[in-house]
Amino acid sequence: MQELSVRHLLGIKDITVQDIRLIFETADNFKDVLNRPIKKVPSLRDITIANVFFENSTRTRLSFELAEKRLSADVVNFSSSGSSVKKGETLLDTVNNILAMKVDMVVIRHSSPGAPHFLSRHINANIINAGDGTHEHPTQALLDAFSIREKYGEVAGKKIVIIGDILHSRVALSNIFALQKLGAEVMVCGPVTLLPRYIKDLGVKVETDVRKALAWCDVANVLRIQLERQQMKYFPSLREYSLYYGIDKRMLDSLDKEITVMHPGPINRGVELSSDAADSHHSIILNQVENGVAIRMAVLYLLAARQ
Amino acid sequence: MKILLRAATIFDASSAFHQQQQHIVIENGIITYIGADEQQADQIITVEGLCVSAGWIDMFAYAGEPGLEYKEDLETLSAAAAAGGFTEVLCLPNTNPVVQSKAGINFIKSKSALLPVTLHPLAALTVETQGKDLTEMIDLYKAGAIGFTDGTKPLQGADVLLKALQYLQTFDGLLLNRPEHTRLSEHGQMHEGQASTRLGMKGIPALAEEVMVTRDLQLLAYTGGRMHFSLVSTAAAIEAIRQAKAAGLQVSCDVASYQLAFTDETIPPFDTNYKVLPPFRGEADAAAIREGLQDGTIDALVSAHMPQDTESKKLEFDLAEFGIINLETAFAVANTTLGDTLSTAALVEKFAANPRRILGLPAPRLEVGEAANLTLFSPDEVWTPTLAHTKSKSGNSPFFGQALRGKVIGIIHKGQVVLNSSF
Repeated sequence: MQELSVRHLLGIKDITVQDIRLIFETADNFKDVLNRPIKKVPSLRDITIANVFFENSTRTRLSFELAEKRLSADVVNFSSSGSSVKKGETLLDTVNNILAMKVDMVVIRHSSPGAPHFLSRHINANIINAGDGTHEHPTQALLDAFSIREKYGEVAGKKIVIIGDILHSRVALSNIFALQKLGAEVMVCGPVTLLPRYIKDLGVKVETDVRKALAWCDVANVLRIQLERQQMKYFPSLREYSLYYGIDKRMLDSLDKEITVMHPGPINRGVELSSDAADSHHSIILNQVENGVAIRMAVLYLLAARQ
Repeated sequence: MKILLRAATIFDASSAFHQQQQHIVIENGIITYIGADEQQADQIITVEGLCVSAGWIDMFAYAGEPGLEYKEDLETLSAAAAAGGFTEVLCLPNTNPVVQSKAGINFIKSKSALLPVTLHPLAALTVETQGKDLTEMIDLYKAGAIGFTDGTKPLQGADVLLKALQYLQTFDGLLLNRPEHTRLSEHGQMHEGQASTRLGMKGIPALAEEVMVTRDLQLLAYTGGRMHFSLVSTAAAIEAIRQAKAAGLQVSCDVASYQLAFTDETIPPFDTNYKVLPPFRGEADAAAIREGLQDGTIDALVSAHMPQDTESKKLEFDLAEFGIINLETAFAVANTTLGDTLSTAALVEKFAANPRRILGLPAPRLEVGEAANLTLFSPDEVWTPTLAHTKSKSGNSPFFGQALRGKVIGIIHKGQVVLNSSF
């Protein structure tokens, strides 16, 4: 059996294109499973997984938890908003306490970039990064690329624009790495204040005019405006943002080709994406959610094999 | 007690014996003989490639005493300094309480009197290092403050800097400041560049330093007086200082001796033992630092010793404190990374002669009849620092386990000999 080149899924940066393809092939099988009357397989029986979330999350946690349960793993959840340090316990202590209860895998979301990498150096369980600050969100990028592959047959050669707050987005960074590894062309688009100064060095195109970006692309991945992650003001108002960077159905219909709209959720309806665009035939947003479970099942399954 | 330094190469540009190999005899802390005759002594120091220079002096080091003794106290700071070849160290005022009173100055001076290393107190420039109201600088100077700085807190307000530069002229006092516009570097974790972008980390732009250096030099040109920039790290800042010196301003600067050990691209991601302020920068900045050291724009090398307890470092990267310990490795790291750029004589100038010139301290001389204030070292010896052997209370060093070229043998100062191991 093929296996992943890594013991942890810390970021897309750290995995190979073969790893990505293996995850996709495994996810294809699990997606079939999810469409059967009995959606559960015994693959991870006797494996205990802790979902350790130091940042609020509804859908990512739910998606991981469902993936774990569909694989028959035992699941424990720990959530705490804000950093653990403020509570007086270090991240390492918190996780070591959980591991002392014999946990095999840790799914972690944390506001600090590199928190999963830090853990991986100090503890002995498989670690899956479910989002680390403004760094990476590998399973999101995998499910995004998987959804593009599902729609178009392949990712290579496709033109994908990521629109919005690139500066504060782990989704953007992981997407850039994943899509580039799979041979897609990537553009980022947003007001200059929301684009990292050195983003071009990652080999992406940069555009500040959303209409030009839409005219260029096959797929538009529209990011949530992360107001909670902005430590200062990066644009004057949500009103102005939605006027000049928001996407609505009229804009999509005015293009001379059919493009696909994606969003990692949760959508700020009427800010980055209007309701009529989000709910239109352009959108594959709910397919992304469905694929998220299959992708996470694949990642968990493949990492468990690397215990 | 009579000590013989056998076949030691002397580094003292003012001495007739400069770069010559001689035998040196020290009796009760006084140099009594320099010459070719090997003399009898109670203790003979024989080391392959032994070099001797005036004792080195560190212009930027942190001890947590009073208040944060768990990071470093003055005894362990002194021990680490001696092991690193420093006979004198300037202590930053960012303690708890802040060094801003005669009592604070006297505390460090009285501790220093009992230690083999001379500790010079730096006083806070502003009350509580908050960057607002000036401290009682004349009084602090009279009590023994060697310079004025807010230390680890870069001064922001142009008005405060202007007043401080003017007020210090009363006694030709020295203002030291690490240049950083903290609003431009807010929440920054590492050098802003491709690496920080890849790691999703908020960057510390070179601009944050350059803007401040340019502004501060304009203020200095307006007020007159003297200013020293601590820990410069960017090409544009160094160029601005070069031009200011050429224009006749009384400005000087130093760089952390470890600054050239890494760049933002070579540090391992998310390892807090590489998290320093200013951060490890890019290749172009490294080249500018080399050039600045060579042409004299950068006057001094400093340890930038910043001890941090495990609880401040074994954390998520963005929650960890900045800084590394470097007193013991300062020379070795500089010698290893700059050996091709600076001669041993030039390194000694950056560690001993230039800081004293800036601080207005008398230069210890290698002459018969002078009190011995000496550093003994062997520039070609390769050694490996380890956590087990460190004299510091803290262990936040990226150099443990790394082979470095240039070993400090010990110091002779205040009539005491402190050697690193049995020589």
